[in-house]
Amino acid sequence: MSKETKKPFRQSMTEWRQFIYNPNSGEFLGRTAKSWGLILLFYLVFYGFLAALFTFTMWVMLQTLSNDIPKYRDRISSPGLMISPKPDTALEFYFNKSDAQSYAEYVATLRKFLESYDDSKQSQNINCTPGRIFDQNDVAVKKACRFNLSELGQCSGKEDKTFGYSKGTPCVLVKVNRIIGLKPEGEPRIQCASKEAGMVEINYFPPEGLIDLMYFPYYGKSLHAHYLQPLVAVQLAINSNSTKEEIAIECKILGSPNLKNEDDRDKFLGRIAFKVQMTE
Amino acid sequence: RSSRKAFKLTHSYVEMHEFMLQIKPKPGLSSAKAAQVLARDGPNALTPPKATPEIVKFLKQMIGGFSILLWIGAVFSWISFGIQLAQGAESPFDNLYLGVVLALVVILTGIFAYYQEAKSTNIMASFSKMIPQQALVIRDGEKKELPADQLVVGDIVEIKGGDRIPADIRLIFAQGCKVDNSSLTGESEPQSRSCDFTHENPLETKNIAFYSTTCVEGTATGIVINTGDRTIIGRIASLTSGVGNEKTPIAIEIEHFVYLVAGVAISIGVLFFIISVSMRYKILDSIIFLIGIIVANVPEGLLATVTVSLSLTAKRMAKKNCLVKNLEAVETLGSTSVICSDKTGTLTQNRMTVAHLWFDNQIYSADTSEDQTTQPFDQSSPSWTALSKIVTLCNRAEFRPGQENLPIMKRVVVGDASETALLKFAEVILGDVMNIRAQNKKVAEIPFNSTNKFQLSIHKTDDPNDERFLLVMKGAPERILERCSTIMINGKEEPLDSEKAEAFQTAYMELGGMGERVLGFCHLYLPENEFPDTYSFDTDSMNFPTSNLCFVGLLSMIDPPRSTVPDAVSKCRSAGIKVIMVTGDHPITAKAIAKSVGIISATSETVEDIAKRLNIPVEQVNWREATAAVVNGMELKDMSSQQLDEILCNHSEIVFARTSPQQKLIIVEGCQRQGAVVAVTGDGVNDSPALKKADIGIAMGIAGSDAAKNAADMVLLDDNFASIVTGVEEGRLIFDNLKKTIAYTLTKNIAELCPFLIYIIASIPLPIGTITILFIDLGTDIIPSVALAYEKAESDIMNRRPRNKRKDRLVNEQLAIYSYLQIGIMQSVGAFVTYFTVYAEQGFLPSTLLGVRVNWENNAINDFEDSYGQEWTKYQRTYLQWTGYTAFFVSITIQQVADLIIRKTRRNSIFQQGNKVIWVGIFSQIGIALILTYGLGHVTALNFTPLRFQYWFVAVPFAILIWVYDEVRKLFIRRYPGSK
Repeated sequence: MSKETKKPFRQSMTEWRQFIYNPNSGEFLGRTAKSWGLILLFYLVFYGFLAALFTFTMWVMLQTLSNDIPKYRDRISSPGLMISPKPDTALEFYFNKSDAQSYAEYVATLRKFLESYDDSKQSQNINCTPGRIFDQNDVAVKKACRFNLSELGQCSGKEDKTFGYSKGTPCVLVKVNRIIGLKPEGEPRIQCASKEAGMVEINYFPPEGLIDLMYFPYYGKSLHAHYLQPLVAVQLAINSNSTKEEIAIECKILGSPNLKNEDDRDKFLGRIAFKVQMTE
Repeated sequence: RSSRKAFKLTHSYVEMHEFMLQIKPKPGLSSAKAAQVLARDGPNALTPPKATPEIVKFLKQMIGGFSILLWIGAVFSWISFGIQLAQGAESPFDNLYLGVVLALVVILTGIFAYYQEAKSTNIMASFSKMIPQQALVIRDGEKKELPADQLVVGDIVEIKGGDRIPADIRLIFAQGCKVDNSSLTGESEPQSRSCDFTHENPLETKNIAFYSTTCVEGTATGIVINTGDRTIIGRIASLTSGVGNEKTPIAIEIEHFVYLVAGVAISIGVLFFIISVSMRYKILDSIIFLIGIIVANVPEGLLATVTVSLSLTAKRMAKKNCLVKNLEAVETLGSTSVICSDKTGTLTQNRMTVAHLWFDNQIYSADTSEDQTTQPFDQSSPSWTALSKIVTLCNRAEFRPGQENLPIMKRVVVGDASETALLKFAEVILGDVMNIRAQNKKVAEIPFNSTNKFQLSIHKTDDPNDERFLLVMKGAPERILERCSTIMINGKEEPLDSEKAEAFQTAYMELGGMGERVLGFCHLYLPENEFPDTYSFDTDSMNFPTSNLCFVGLLSMIDPPRSTVPDAVSKCRSAGIKVIMVTGDHPITAKAIAKSVGIISATSETVEDIAKRLNIPVEQVNWREATAAVVNGMELKDMSSQQLDEILCNHSEIVFARTSPQQKLIIVEGCQRQGAVVAVTGDGVNDSPALKKADIGIAMGIAGSDAAKNAADMVLLDDNFASIVTGVEEGRLIFDNLKKTIAYTLTKNIAELCPFLIYIIASIPLPIGTITILFIDLGTDIIPSVALAYEKAESDIMNRRPRNKRKDRLVNEQLAIYSYLQIGIMQSVGAFVTYFTVYAEQGFLPSTLLGVRVNWENNAINDFEDSYGQEWTKYQRTYLQWTGYTAFFVSITIQQVADLIIRKTRRNSIFQQGNKVIWVGIFSQIGIALILTYGLGHVTALNFTPLRFQYWFVAVPFAILIWVYDEVRKLFIRRYPGSK
């Protein structure tokens, strides 16, 4: 019969042992030490060569890139919006206005975030002409425009160290994502709305949520090291009837034809939605 | 063992039905009685072999091979979907879709494979369809035409020449009845049938005719003694189903391959599952990685590709007259190491043909090719004129009318085999034989019979000046010579002295020694005075001389080998395939044919030859010196299997003569004991167990019985041995090409796998998605892998030994290592360069990418900073990630083009061998990739994005590197064959 007969267990064990180490031929796993050595050497050389090749091509590729601006910026033609503080998991704020512990993290985040906007840090920054694009294409050293914290009014953290959280008027800072070379047209401003009317009253700093054009364009991390992106503070005065309720708020960038805010797929392109729930 | 059973079951068959004789023939059965018996015994038809239910076949495709792995992947996807849904994660549906896609892949490839199988089975189904047979039955005292399956035991049936015997019948009346039992017993000569009980063994006795054999001539009436599965044929058929069907070599190879790949997939999957868990990834994430690794590792499209390649080859083989029933048999033929071939019809033309002539003391050879139109031997001698006249006149065979436009060799003749041969021979040389016969009017005739052993006729001649009658006679040469006193030499009658008789003997022995059937021819012009024009010849009283005739010559006939066979046999020889002839014929004839086709080569000797040469008894010859052997069926019967093994082992050239079809099974089993892959040809019903037992059973399409065709894996449409050899060539080619396909397919698995591994370890954004991988495996790679099936043979395909089942695997260590660890890694490097280029040019330098995975994939982070200080939303990042997928995909595709080019040949340089279909493969590959990226780049679900055109070229240097690397490797292989 052509069918193979099953080998007895002992025999197959011996065969295995022979395979792992064969004392007669000095073979280990079916190869002699020399053969293993050659194979390892081959793969060492082979992979060494590939690694070198990889490194070399990557190096060549990196040489073609500029240090200042990325080669292509087409994947981010329009900026996203983001808020600070940003809760860890999702964009949902839960706090008790009478319990400092419940919002301490938000306050700390905001404080940290605004550190770079501190006057002491802005000593090199210049005062730019408001309402105009600050074009510095011909200048080798790009200057950053000063953003005065005072523009954030009650949300600057200067008067109210808790950014309104203790008073039931929490502040949320809305920022526009940095994109190199972006020049907004028109008069961009941030506008927020809660889904259900009457639950919350919204105040903007600077007033009307305006974003000044003088902060644009951005020239990138290396050229524009001290750049500060403009902020809009949104203060939510939560109606006392609406405490304990989840308030959904959506902020959008408006007033600029080249900044998108209606993309179907990207929920953060020129807009941001978050929820606030305050207890007493 | 099983064949012995076949012998036994035929015993006691006669006695069982002795009582049948008592049935009164005249009125036959009544319809009522017949209906009653029919209800008891069932219809008179063979139960078809149990077919696997379609649904089982379908389900097998669904869970066979890699499908089970993919099912596991799908189930994992659904489980993680369920968990994520329960946890309220943001995009749980991705996993649902992935699971659905995986399930769809399995189901679609399953349906595809099933459809392919079914299609090839259908070819056979249409083939075996038969016109329902009719039988002439006497029932209720009347003759009725009934469908044969309505026959019952006890029915009286009438048979005439040309009919198929509708059941096993016992004859109660027979007139000149001859049956062709070749499909049952292998005897090629028609057997006469009478009412006499002549033998205990029903197969031998003259008064039984068997179901499915044919009545060649005469008429007979008989009683049905057995119907359906209880007939001899039915019993043999049921014996066949008892012979196990073994797995085809290619099925074993594919199984081996599946285990190998699945083993790699599962071990890498589990390893990285453990790694990712210990790297503090969430279990759920780890499961998703596991799915990715499985999908990357499993070549989803490969099994479908293999099926397509096999069916393409099957189609190609069908064109060359090999019809393959079972797709996998295509390759089995290629690994064949022994072919047990029939003689009659397969190696030979299956028709008697005049091969030699002897007249004027000289032997002449005749042309025996299939399409002869003239005969080249010297026809100037007057002796030939005389001989040709006897050949023409002393012959009862006639052409069926209405075939004037057909070549002579193709015309149908009414008459026995040797008369047919003579008729055609005469027609080729002389032209219109029927006209010659008409001009030489026959006045008396004694047909051939076994006591006289001659045939005689008396004619008026066509010479108007010659009033003499011409008596012509042919028959067994020694009998003819006995009746002669003179012999014709160069047209003159000379006395037949002992010297001339000696010459006759020598010639007769020589022709007989060539295995040819020899006939002697003589004539006599009857003296005009004794036999005037009006003389009345009486064949009973023989009132004319039948001795002192004039001997004219000898003609010898043989069933000559097909002209393509010797070449095919020598091809087999160089291909390391042993050809064994198994025939029912006489050993001398068998040996002669074996020698003429090269099965026994000119230089080798059998034991008998050595004995003759050394002039010593056969027993004293050292049989080890003989390379060839002619084994008689009688000897075989008494042999133990060890003895048979010894013969099979020690002789390279073997002929089995006088064997019964049952012994074929023993021979096949013997060869298989030697570890050979055995191909067996057969046509008779009795061959079916051997056909089934063989690794590849080959049935004859023309001469084959349905039972043989059912049992076989392949049907030879032209019954020609040479077609088997072309089949072998195709089979070897497809094995080589499948190797190429698999190497091609496996390579990119590494390039699909590495992204996952690096993603897990280095926490970079995922370089390629699971869906994208499926688009490579089932999209761009499919047509190129099939294109490899069109690759032509690398020069040496029929010059190497058959593949060793144990050593030459479809996928061996070397192939896997070369694909996985060398070319695959090179591809991965190339693809990663493209990936990093895409990210870097968009603002994410490689250094920024390391370790970003968690934040990168966080939906809440929408101001992710790149290397230039720009901030990205989640969707912008995701879109970039898809661009990365597309770039990675494109790079793999580009490098697969190089892979395709290097896999085209295993040894030859690309410059040495072209294949146009490969271009189709390359263009389809690039075309599909273009469509996916630019055409479907906006369908988000597919994760493709329109890619900048230059990214198509990033991997090109790596593709060229792969090609150069492989060309260098091939150069080394050609320079230093056998090393490494």
